[in-house]
Amino acid sequence: MDAFRIFIVEDDVFYGEMLRHHLTLNPDNEVHLFKTGEECLKNLYRSPAMISLDYSLPDMSGLDVMRQIKKEHPEIPVIIVSGQEDISTAVTLLREGAYDYFVKDDDVKDRLWNVLKKIRENIQLRSEISYLKEEIGRKYEFRNVIKGNSPSIKQIFGLIEKSIKTNISVSITGETGTGKELVAKAIHYNSKRAKKPFVAINVSAIPRDLIESEMFGHEKGAFTGAITRKIGKFEQASGGTIFLDEIAEMDLNMQAKLLRVIQERELTRVGGNELIKIDVRLIVATNRNLADEVQKGNFREDLYYRLLGLPIELPPLRYRGNDIILLAKYFVDEFCKENKMKKLSITESAQQKLMGYHFPGNVRELRAIIELAAVLTDHDQIDESHISFNSADAAGNLLMEESSLAEYTRKIIRYYLQKYNNNVLLVAKKLEIGKSTIYRMIKEKQI
Amino acid sequence: MPESNKNHYCLDKLIEFVGNDPEAIKSMVNLFLNTTPDLLQTINTSFHDGIAENLAKAAHTLKPTLDVFGVENTYDLIRIIEQKAKRSELDLALGKHINQLNTTMELVFKELKLAYPIV
Repeated sequence: MDAFRIFIVEDDVFYGEMLRHHLTLNPDNEVHLFKTGEECLKNLYRSPAMISLDYSLPDMSGLDVMRQIKKEHPEIPVIIVSGQEDISTAVTLLREGAYDYFVKDDDVKDRLWNVLKKIRENIQLRSEISYLKEEIGRKYEFRNVIKGNSPSIKQIFGLIEKSIKTNISVSITGETGTGKELVAKAIHYNSKRAKKPFVAINVSAIPRDLIESEMFGHEKGAFTGAITRKIGKFEQASGGTIFLDEIAEMDLNMQAKLLRVIQERELTRVGGNELIKIDVRLIVATNRNLADEVQKGNFREDLYYRLLGLPIELPPLRYRGNDIILLAKYFVDEFCKENKMKKLSITESAQQKLMGYHFPGNVRELRAIIELAAVLTDHDQIDESHISFNSADAAGNLLMEESSLAEYTRKIIRYYLQKYNNNVLLVAKKLEIGKSTIYRMIKEKQI
Repeated sequence: MPESNKNHYCLDKLIEFVGNDPEAIKSMVNLFLNTTPDLLQTINTSFHDGIAENLAKAAHTLKPTLDVFGVENTYDLIRIIEQKAKRSELDLALGKHINQLNTTMELVFKELKLAYPIV
């Protein structure tokens, strides 16, 4: 850890020296003693972690010195150490931003150590938060988030780059599992708002009665159960980005309220009167076609145009060609790394099997398939036997496997026989084919 | 090190502050012997010249130093001097208080010089 730099501003030579001796008992502390406010202000460029400031200085008052410090470096904690035992002075200084106020008495030593401990902890926390923010930034560097070389995904990269440069609203559409939230995060963490919060709301996951309070907050007593004031997601996202997922699920009443907030750039908490200015960037996502929803009267047209901004339509994985293999390899590497397993390869036949599948659950499904395959294999490679598709969309799967018509026929009959406990007559009736056809296929071991 | 109970001062608080390091204590005592007489001089001169503000300021500065050195019978005394000066009550009573402070401090200076002679 770097030295913890402390400034002591004290015109009483003896007391200042004594504090310096005291604080240097901890070798991590680097203590500088100044006799005047001006000396302290001249040395602020050295970025002290804390300033202990005497209230009565020969050249200017402690209050004036503190105001100047706060103006230039509001982050530096200033502790007033004074012989003044006047409460009103202490209150004034605390109101003006002093971190703490000590009277030069017997307790000053212990109080100083306690406050130093707190400040050190705060600095540590700030540094951890800053590190984590940088990590998130790196994690969401958009080429790390969205993998792929296909033309359709390269087009998405271009749109993301455009969206990063401005504050324009972004509407992301795409099937489930295509990575809408990841794209939203990539836009936020690569934009000028990256250091401010990214707040996501899944509109469909919040009960209708609660969504207004969730989004805009509420005042204490606004409704039964509102026992404290609650800050809504829009306020939480102040200066940052708010991501409204599944926006098409929002009811018309709430749509009207959202439209007002977007237009006015201010909101009122539920049960409150105060108008609160907001500064948030909006990114919305849906797996429905919003224009269709407008046509059907389920979505307000005015809100639709407000939200549309820059539309980004994420392609389904099945249209991304070799990205499937690229992503599969990436997921298997990630999985092995996370689980401290040796590296696995994907055989050619497994790759072909993946390429023949239509992935109704898109990238999310691919990841699950690959992780399961990595668990199932006993060797250093994933082959086709480890790849299993469990999609709810069985018909879609069947069609995407690109078989011959004869093979499709066999699969369909096999499926129906399983379903109806090998009742050939019933299956023949259901499929409107002759029972002899089924018997023949059984006899020829085709099914 | 002098035994506190035989002197008009007590270094316990100072030791608490700077640690039980003889060199650090000696250095702080020397600093005390170098700076405190000037403050005492300011108190006396300001009283004679009737400059209450300077008197109050010097008393205010001296106050924590006396506390740290545990100077006998001065805890309340220096506070009374400061308060009276702040109220501009430069009267006979204040003169007596200052004399009392002078007497005690002279003893303390002597005792400290004996205990911590400057080499």
